[in-house]
Formats: sequence, structure tokens, C-alpha cells
Amino acid sequence: MNTNDKDLEALSALMDGEVQDLELRRLLVSVGSDTELRARWRRQHMVREVLQERRLANTGIDVSAGVAEALSDGSSVGRGPIWSVAVAASVTLAVVMGGQQLLVPEDSVVTPFAVSELGGVVVPVGGAQPIQASLDTQSVPLQVQQSDLNNRRSVETAALYERLASDRYRKLSERHSAASAPIHPAPYITHARAAELADESLPDE
Amino acid sequence: MRYSEDRIVIYRELFAFAAIIIGDGCPTKRAPGYAEQGKDAVVTGSDTDQQLVQRAQRGELRAFDLLVLKYQGRIGTLVSRYVADPGEAEDVTQEAFIKAYRALPKFRGDSAFYTWLYRIAANAAKNHLAAKGRRPSADVVIEDVESFEQSDLIADAGTPEALAMGEELYKVVESALAALPEELRAALTLREFEGLSYDDIASVLGCPVGTVRSRIFRARDAVDERVREQLEGSSGIR
Repeated sequence: MNTNDKDLEALSALMDGEVQDLELRRLLVSVGSDTELRARWRRQHMVREVLQERRLANTGIDVSAGVAEALSDGSSVGRGPIWSVAVAASVTLAVVMGGQQLLVPEDSVVTPFAVSELGGVVVPVGGAQPIQASLDTQSVPLQVQQSDLNNRRSVETAALYERLASDRYRKLSERHSAASAPIHPAPYITHARAAELADESLPDE
Repeated sequence: MRYSEDRIVIYRELFAFAAIIIGDGCPTKRAPGYAEQGKDAVVTGSDTDQQLVQRAQRGELRAFDLLVLKYQGRIGTLVSRYVADPGEAEDVTQEAFIKAYRALPKFRGDSAFYTWLYRIAANAAKNHLAAKGRRPSADVVIEDVESFEQSDLIADAGTPEALAMGEELYKVVESALAALPEELRAALTLREFEGLSYDDIASVLGCPVGTVRSRIFRARDAVDERVREQLEGSSGIR
């Protein structure tokens, strides 16, 4: 039995709901490149139809290529407006959080984060202020010297985190666009189309 | 033709007899997707649909492609009952499938996939006509479609040409079945007409499940050869 026969046998078994998941996965890969498999699948269903009903539905119609072409433009299954809102919200949250960290005044004393248990080691956490861990895990802020040296370091640190936040925002934006693009042809049309989708009366099951 | 129908009766009797021999009265476990329709058994393939739908829901277009190939004829027939123009009917059919794919995340599997698809197609056809300010081309009532899976409307071949084509194809299939070796015909008949699972067919025929699967495949392969010749010689089927 050659590979093609294996696929054809699997196709036959698929008609009867008798294929395993792994086999189905392999079969679907083959279907993508083997037009004979697709034609066979269609004919087998026609045979079943005439055997059981002694009649045949409209055989002069073939929309499969048109459907595949239309869907391949935005092939992922629509996740709906909620998904888009969730992605947008996560981007917004990231921007707000990143921005808050950058807006810390240089001369302010920041309430420290929880300190790691590395005794006596200065651990920069969250990009805010350097803090020192104590052995009993109590948070102990370092005394912030208002010297010129520290000011310069603060400015450099702020610039560094600004770059990091900017990179993070860009990456999240890219993810958002990538997630939205298959569903909607243009970015940020997402929410405008939500109302349109709601108007389309999809049937209840 | 008569020969083949007699054979079907024989295999049904064979099945009943084998069920008694097996000892538990009757192997009542039916194959996935098997449904009773009145006195006749019908294989609906809903389990196959479920497998394909689940994969399509994960974004596998090829799985959805197989569902389109499977149902486009029936959906096209339904749409044609509303929309007389063949070109428009094809467009609406395509639109219905695209809408169905987009809405797949909302499909929970509470109903059969085809039931759900049928409703989407009917709505698409009605909306198309409403947009054009027209009425359905046929007197179709689908508001009460709770039991339409058992309705003739779904299986209605529609045009006289399609009916003739179906009858012609039926003869070809019957003839191909009659020409099959005994063991192949038995396996395919028990599957298509009795809706038995491969396990049950294996019990009835006293052979391994793998052999059943292989026999059914070879039977379909032989029938397909005849059907393909018939369809290629027919102008009505693309």
C-alpha cells in the first residue's frame, strides 16, 4: 500500500468517524496538497447520499475554492470583539504601568517593593529605586543621596526604562495587530465592526 | 437492481442472525453519527463533523474545507429554493459558509453542525432577498425548523436535472455494489445501511477491525471508480 492509498483509506474511515486524532492530522495535511483526496471525499459523500436517499442534492455547485480563498485572507477563526478588547486593554495597561514608572520624580522617596532574600545585596526591582534586602526579609529603603552623581544616574536609569517601555509597547502593539489582522482587514476597525457583527443574526443552536 | 436490494435484505438478516450468535441479543451500539429515521437507518456522519468542526475551530482551514465539500451541494440546493438566479445562489452559498466559519467560536455543538449551518444559510438567503427587495423564489417556510433534519426539504434534490442525476448515479452505485466481492459488499453494506461501527462489523463478520476498515475502503474504492467515470461523462457535475 503506498502513501496515497493510506490517505484514501483514512479518508474512508473519516467518513465513518473511525479515525484517530493523529491520523486525521496527517490526513488534513495531505488534503491541502492533494486535489484527488478532496474530489474523492466529495464523491464518497455523493455515493452515501444516493445510497440512503436515492437522490442527490445540487451537484452543479462548487464554492469550496471561493470559500478557501476568502478565508485564507484572514484565516484564523474569528475570536470576536471581546478578544480584541482584551488585547487592546492589555496594551493600554502595559503603557499605563510603564508610564507610571517613568513619571516617578527624581527627588521622591519610593516605597520599596518586597525585597529578595539575598542578604545585604542591593537588588534593583521594578526599575524604581535601589533597595537593600535585610536578613529578616524586611524591606529597607536606601537613603537617597541628592547628589549630582545620583541625579545623573537617575536620569540615565529613566532613559533606560523609557527605552524598555517603548520596546515593550511596540511589541505589544505588534501582537495586537497580528491578532486583529486575520479578523479584520484593517487595524483599529475592530471595534467599529463589532456593531456590524452584532446585527448579523446568527442562529441559536 | 433487484439483485442488490435483495442483497441488502440478506445482509440485514445476516446481521440479525449474527447478533443472536454473539449472545447479547443485539449489538445495539451504533456507529458514531448513526441515527434512526422511521424504519430506515441513516448514517449522518455527525461524529465526523464534530472532529472536523473542532479542528476548524482551532483555525484549521483544511478541516473546514472538508465540511464545505461535504455540504455545499445540500446548502446550494437550499439556497436555490430562495434565490432563483444560479450565480446569485452560488454567491449566497459561499457567503453562508464564510459566515459559518467566522461564527464557529459560537458553535457549542448543542445541535448538529449541519442543523446550525442550515440555519445560517437560510438566514443568508433571506437577507439576500430582503436586500434586493425580493421574495423567495419558492414557497419555503423555515421559521419552524426544529425538526427539519428529518424534513424532505433538506434532502430535496431541487431541480428535475438533479433528480435525474441522482437516479442515474443510484443505478451506477447499485451496479458497482453488486459487482463487489462478497466480503467487501458485506462490510460496506453493514456500514452504510445498518450504520454499524467498525467494531460491530468485525463481530458480525468475524474478522479484525483493521480488516473491516480495509474492506470498506476497498469497496468504496471500487464503487468510486465507477462513479468517477459516470460523473466525468456528465456535464451537470463539476
